[in-house]
This record gives sequence, C-alpha cells and structure tokens, in this order.
Amino acid sequence: MNFVWENTVIALIAIGILYFLLNKYAFGPLFSVMEKRRELVQQQLSEAAQTREQAAAYVEEQKSALQEARKEAYEIIEQSKQTSSKQATHLLQQAKDEATRMKDEAVRDIQSEKNKAVEQLRSEVGAVSVKIASKLIEKEVGEEKVQGELVDQYLKEVGGRS
Amino acid sequence: MHEAPVINLGGFHLDLSVLIMLVVTCAIVFVVAKLATRKLSVENPGKLQNFMEWAVEFVRNMISSTMDWKKGKPFLSLAMTMIMFIFVANMLGLPLGIVTEYHDAEKAKIFGQEITTVTSVLKEQHEEHPGEEAHAEVAWWKSPTADLSVTMGLALLVFVLSHGLGLFKNTKSYLKHYVQPYPFFLPINIIEQLSKLLTHGVRLFANIFAGEVLIGTIMTLAKASIFGAIFSIPLLMVWDGFSIFVGAIQSFVFVILMMVYIGQSIESHDEEHEH
Repeated sequence: MNFVWENTVIALIAIGILYFLLNKYAFGPLFSVMEKRRELVQQQLSEAAQTREQAAAYVEEQKSALQEARKEAYEIIEQSKQTSSKQATHLLQQAKDEATRMKDEAVRDIQSEKNKAVEQLRSEVGAVSVKIASKLIEKEVGEEKVQGELVDQYLKEVGGRS
Repeated sequence: MHEAPVINLGGFHLDLSVLIMLVVTCAIVFVVAKLATRKLSVENPGKLQNFMEWAVEFVRNMISSTMDWKKGKPFLSLAMTMIMFIFVANMLGLPLGIVTEYHDAEKAKIFGQEITTVTSVLKEQHEEHPGEEAHAEVAWWKSPTADLSVTMGLALLVFVLSHGLGLFKNTKSYLKHYVQPYPFFLPINIIEQLSKLLTHGVRLFANIFAGEVLIGTIMTLAKASIFGAIFSIPLLMVWDGFSIFVGAIQSFVFVILMMVYIGQSIESHDEEHEH
C-alpha cells in the first residue's frame, strides 16, 4: 500500500465539491424546512397553551357567574319567604283586629239593646203598675202625694228585683 | 494483493480506481440527498424526507454531545456530508469488486496510458523469478476509504479545520492549551495533536481495508474449488454483515471524533473549568 498524495488531493476536492452541492441543493432547504416545522410546532404549542388558559379563565368566569346566580336565587327565596311571613302575620293581625272590633261592636249593641229594653220595660211596667195601682188604690188613696210615694216605693222594689 | 491502477499524467499520479470510486460515492450521496429533499414539506414529509430528518437529528445530537449547540450549528452540514460520504464509501466495497489481471507489461494500459503500478510489479516479479509468468491484479472497484491517502485526506481536512478555527476564532485559549499544565508539555501536546491526525485517518482506513482484504481472501477461497465456493457463501454472508456494521460504526466514529476535535479547539478552556 503506497501513500499517493495525489489521492489525498482528489479526495479533498471531491469532498469539497460534495459539501458545496449538498449544502446548496439538499441540506440548506432541508434545514430550513426543519426549522420551519420547529417554529410551527412551537407556535401550535403556544397556541394550545393560550387556548387552555382561555378555557380555564372561561370556566372560572362561568363558575363565578353560577355562584352569583345561586346567591341571587337564594336571596330572592329568602326575601319572598320573609315577605310572605310578614304578609301572613299582617293578615292574621288584621283578621284578629277585625274580629275584636266586631265582637266589641256586638257587645256594645247587645248592651244598648238591653238598656233600651230595660228602659222600655221599666216605663211600660211603670205605666202598667200605675194603671193597676190606680185601679187598686182609687178607692183607698185619695191624696195624690201619698199616691206618688207609694208608686215610687213599689217601683224601686220591682227594679231592684229585676 | 491487489494493485491500484495508477497512471502517470505528467508527474501527477492519478489513481483511477480512487477517482472512479470517489465520483461514484459523491454521486450516490448527492442523488440520495437530492431525492430525500425533492418534495420538501413542513407538514407532510415523505418517507425519504423523514429518514433524512432522522439522520440530521442524529448528527445534531452527535454535535450537541461534543460542544455547545450554538457553536456547533455551522458544522451540521459538514458533519452530515462527512457521515453520508464515509458511510456510502464504506459500503461500496462490500457488494462487488472489479479486478483485472495482467500478465504482460505491454498490455497494462488504459486510455493509452501505462498503469505504472502494474508494470513495476510485473518487472519486479520478472527479476525475482525470471522465466516464470508474471502476474498482477488491479482492483478497480473498492471502497475509497480503503485507501490510506483518501482517509488521510479527510483527516487532514478535519485537522486543518479544527486547528484553523482554534487559531483564528479562539486564539488565546487555543494557544494556551499547548502549554498546559506546564510549558515543558509543549512537545507532548504537539505530538498529541499530530497523533490525533494520524489515528483519525488510519483508524478508518485500517478497518475498511481489513474488511476488504478478508473479502478478497474469501473470494480466493471461492475460486479455488467447488467446496471452497460452497463454504465461502456463509463465511461471506457473516463477514459482509460484520463489515456493514463496522462501516456504519466507523463512519459514526470518524464524524464524532471530527466534532470532538473541532469542539476542543473552539471551546475556551476557561469556561470548561467553570463547569
């Protein structure tokens, strides 16, 4: 095996030409495509991350909205409960008042009717007894003064009994 | 022992087999690379493009394992060229060999040029064994990397590249490392660098050359007799498989050493100490 320096020169020229050609026609475009793919993947990854973030934010927003709605609904229920109970109390009170008033009125009516009846009775009984008495006493008592005293005494006795 | 077909062109000794094989290797590498990058697509790469991208990723990992990727990026193309060239070159010698025999110095001519190696061998044999028929074999088809002068050329390229880069891009720490750890280590460091050049080229050559020599030997056995031919088939299968493995490994080793040498030269040693 001889060392032929000419071969070295030829080999260097060959590899130089090959390097130049590959670099220009094959690897240059290939590397740029690979770089482009890397960028694409990077971009898609960042986009995905962004979308995920957005989704998370949206979910959070929805959650808070839901919470708010729930709170609001609770408040409404609470309020209506309060209103209804207040109204019920009010109605009850009104009814009670009405009942009391009607009862009082009735009692008053009864009282006044009774008084009226008593008065009427008293006057009627007076008149009747006077008539009876006058008929009875016409013969016995002549003097008008004695007559009146007797009637009054009699009436008092009757009124006290009644 | 096969001779190389060398012709003398006015003092320039042209080795035709090396020339042919280098052209073939370069053509195959270029065609493969061009086919792989013919329909480049970002989103829908073809099979060949995928394969090529895998190779690029592989080489890229090799570079990043030896140096900072930012510094190593410009060498990606060179490393790809080298690994493809050496791999294809290593493989070329395996499937076939073209050998011509010469007995007469007068007939040892191509394109009207005398094949000097053949004539000198024939002359030698005539002088040693006068009266007997002289015999010389010329290998036309072989791995270009089975030639020491070719592999040394590749190693020389790496040597010049790494030291040139070290000298011009990283002058201070490059020069400093010659006198480390002590100034009197200077000759040892120089010898180390030269031995790197030598081993780099010889390793590749020796591995591939040894493989081809054994293939040649098995072929001689096959030619000897019918039993030899039958016996040589499994032997050749095994050895071819092993040679493919060796060829792949050697192309990998050559390129990774190239990146290691370049990395050593352009990386500043101050940084290394900090790490």
